[in-house]
This record gives sequence, structure tokens and C-alpha cells, in this order.
Amino acid sequence: MFWKKKKSNKESESQLYENDITITRYLIDGLLVFDSENRLFLINPSAEKFLEVREEEVLGKTILELSRFARFAPLASLLGGGLEEYFRKELAFNSNLVLEITSVHMKIEGERVSTLVIMHDITREKLAEKMKAEFVTLAAHQLRTPISGVKWSLKTLLDEEVGKINKKQRAIIEQAYKTNNKVVNLIRDLLSVAEIEEGRYLKKLSLWNIEDIISSVIDGFEPQLKKKKIKIKLQKPKGDLPKIMVDVERLKVALNNIIKNAVRYTFGGGIITVLLIRHEKYIEVEVKDTGIGIPLSQQNKVFTKFFRSSNVMKIDTEGTGLGLYIAKNIIEAHDGRIWFESEENKGTTFYFTIPIKKQYGEFLTEEFY
Amino acid sequence: MAKKILLIEDDKFLRKVIVRKLTADGYEVIEAIDGEKGVVAAREGKPDLILLDLVLPEIDGFEVLAMLKKDKETFKIPVIILSNLGEKENVEKGLKMGANDYLIKARLEPSEIAERIQKILNQE
Repeated sequence: MFWKKKKSNKESESQLYENDITITRYLIDGLLVFDSENRLFLINPSAEKFLEVREEEVLGKTILELSRFARFAPLASLLGGGLEEYFRKELAFNSNLVLEITSVHMKIEGERVSTLVIMHDITREKLAEKMKAEFVTLAAHQLRTPISGVKWSLKTLLDEEVGKINKKQRAIIEQAYKTNNKVVNLIRDLLSVAEIEEGRYLKKLSLWNIEDIISSVIDGFEPQLKKKKIKIKLQKPKGDLPKIMVDVERLKVALNNIIKNAVRYTFGGGIITVLLIRHEKYIEVEVKDTGIGIPLSQQNKVFTKFFRSSNVMKIDTEGTGLGLYIAKNIIEAHDGRIWFESEENKGTTFYFTIPIKKQYGEFLTEEFY
Repeated sequence: MAKKILLIEDDKFLRKVIVRKLTADGYEVIEAIDGEKGVVAAREGKPDLILLDLVLPEIDGFEVLAMLKKDKETFKIPVIILSNLGEKENVEKGLKMGANDYLIKARLEPSEIAERIQKILNQE
């Protein structure tokens, strides 16, 4: 230790050990140290408090033996008998105790000599997040109520249910209606962003056929495609594609946001191609448009919040600038990757991947994206 | 005979817009401004369908729905939740509790609400 005065080797080693023990005793984080045989070698007072055990009853035991203690059980099931490595994995014991677990293998010449398990108390942060989430939900609700009233009233006027309107009046009311809808979309997107930032984005994972998801999203664009005379071609490899483990509602949102941009910014009469490619461990989706493209100087900002490119701002006022940020987060939450290529006035291609997993939690070991 | 719709909605302005639309479409509309009055109106008024808001004073819409589904006088009446709580959990909860449909006000127009009402009444 660098703060120690120079002493003889033995004296120095024993003093260092005492210093280490003292430091661990005063650590606010909980600390467990397992030896090379995965037996508990050290537990500090914070860990005793978190796990509701006393040092003398747990020292020398393996993680499996420790799982008999109620509070150790969830930790044991996370780490497993082999004490896997984790980085900042959340473990909620109840609403009054949420710990962030980091486990590290300490190695000498490639051989594991011990495993450190650090438990950081994040209960207050989680509570603050929960309160923020509740506030955002309530605020969105409170905002939506008057906006619904405005929307419905404007629609009543536009439908001439309370009397005729002239051409000029219609144009003004239509503009107000569109602007109001933009606020509706903005609230929807802000809620998604709030959920993303709270890390509670994927909710229900199940096996789905990607082609079905894409087809259902494309169907939703039928009126706009007809209006702009744009064609969408869906190309897929021969044979059935493997199913993917996804939160289907979220993945539809991501796809919808990508295809919506392609439809919005493709010139009338253009073509959008959606291409599905099967790779060994993942499925790649490409959405290629023949639209206005993204200026090169702004391409590094495409996935940031509220980004709207300068050429888009001139022709479209409806976007919220949150769609691609949301799409990126959804794809990445599925352990996929998203990127794009674009040339101004020629078009843009968005690519994303979704890993082929049989079940949730089955992470692929090889880097493939 | 005109079909009877019970609208449980605490916002006066929204109530007015929906009532105007449904009346124009030929429905008879009875109104309740909170959950408690809504349950009473459902028992006494025997509506053909209930439009139910969720964020209501005193008893919230979920509690109202639970009460309606427990009561032998009202459990068969179709319920459409009409709320601005758009979170997936709320939608799933409402449908699981027995609502026939879940509509998010800000995403729909009065004519679309009327269409959904018509669709459910046709199924009955």
C-alpha cells in the first residue's frame, strides 16, 4: 500500500493485511471475499447487515451452503455455484433494500485466487426513480386530458357538426389540429424516453416471427403509402426464419419509428425496401428508402434526443426528434445493434440486428455485432 | 329504441364533447361525474354499455370496474375503458378485469370511440 512507511517484508505484509481488514470494516458497501475453493473468506459489517447474518455463522461456507440463509439465497442464485462475474447487477431483496452487485474474479497468472462480491446499496436511487416514474405518468395523464378535449373539439368543428366553416377557417383549424396531435405524439415519446432512462423498458419477452412483426407494422402505413404512392417491398430469405425472443410491443415501436421516417422522407412514387437477412446467431433487418437522406455533417447526432436534421425541418413539422433515440434503445435492450448509411438526396438505409435466442437470459458468448 | 350509454367521466369538458357526439349518433347518454355515482347509475339506469374513465375522484376506475363485475345487476354490461393512462400495465389490468376494450383518449377521435361502441353493441 502506497501510504505505508517502509518496513521489513514480514512486518510490512502483516501490517498491510491489518490495514486491508480495517478498510473493509469501514466500507459502506458490503463486501464478500471467497477463496479459490469458493468458500467465504471475509465478510464485512455492511454485508452482515445487508444479508442479516453474523460473520461466525457464515465464514468458511460455500455459496451453496450459504443459500440456506434467507438473504443469501437470491445472491447465491445470481452468482451460481461457480461465482460468476457480474457488473452492477441489480438485486432487489424487497422494496426497502435494493443492492447493486458486482463480482470480480481476482487472478494471479491466469488462475482465480479469490472472488470479490461488492454490494452497493441503491435503495434510495430506486425509490427516487419510482417516484419520478409515477410523477411522469401522472403528469402525462394530466397533460393528455386537456389535449384530448382540444383534439375532440377541433374535430367536431372540422366535421361541421356544429355548423359550416369556410375554407380559411378550415385551414386554420386543421393547422391547430395537427399541432395538437404533435403534442400528443410528444407526450407519448417523452413517456417512452422516461421509461428507457429508468431502465424498465423490456417488459414481456416471448418468441415471435420477425416477418409477422414487420408485416403488421407495414400494414399500419397503408394510408400514407397510398397517399404518397410509395411502394414497400419485403424481401426475405427462402425458408422459415427462426423465432426471436422479444418484447413484441416494443420492437414494433422501434420498427414503426424507423419505417415512419422512411415513409415520411421518401419522395412521392419512391420505393422502400425492407430486407431480412439470416446470420448464424442473429437476424439482420435493413430498411432502405429513396428519400432526402441525412446531411453528412449531422449524421453523428442521428440517435440523440430531439435531433431533427436541417433538411427535414424544412419540409416536416410533425416529428418529435425522439423516434430514433427510442428505436436505438429498444434494439440495444434486445442485445441488438443499430446503424445506418445515408446520402443526402439519395436515401438512407437503417440496419439493425436481433440475436437469435431460445430463451430470455441466454446470452451469446461470442461477439457478433 | 335508442341504446343507453353510461359515461363515467369527471372532466366536464370531455363529457360534453362525448355526450354531443353520442347523442348526435342516436344514443341516450346518462352521465356520472365520479366512480360512486357511476356504480349507482349502472345499477339503476341499466345501460347497454358503460364508458369508464380511470382517474376519478374518490373511487378510481379500476375499483369501479371491480364493483361492476362483482354485482349481479351489472356484471354483464360491457365496459369500455376510456382513459389517458396509456401504460401497458394499465391496459392489461383493465382488460384482465373484464373490460371489453381499452381506449386512450388522446389517440382517438370521438367518431372512433363511437365506432368501438357500435362494434361492441353489435357483438352483444
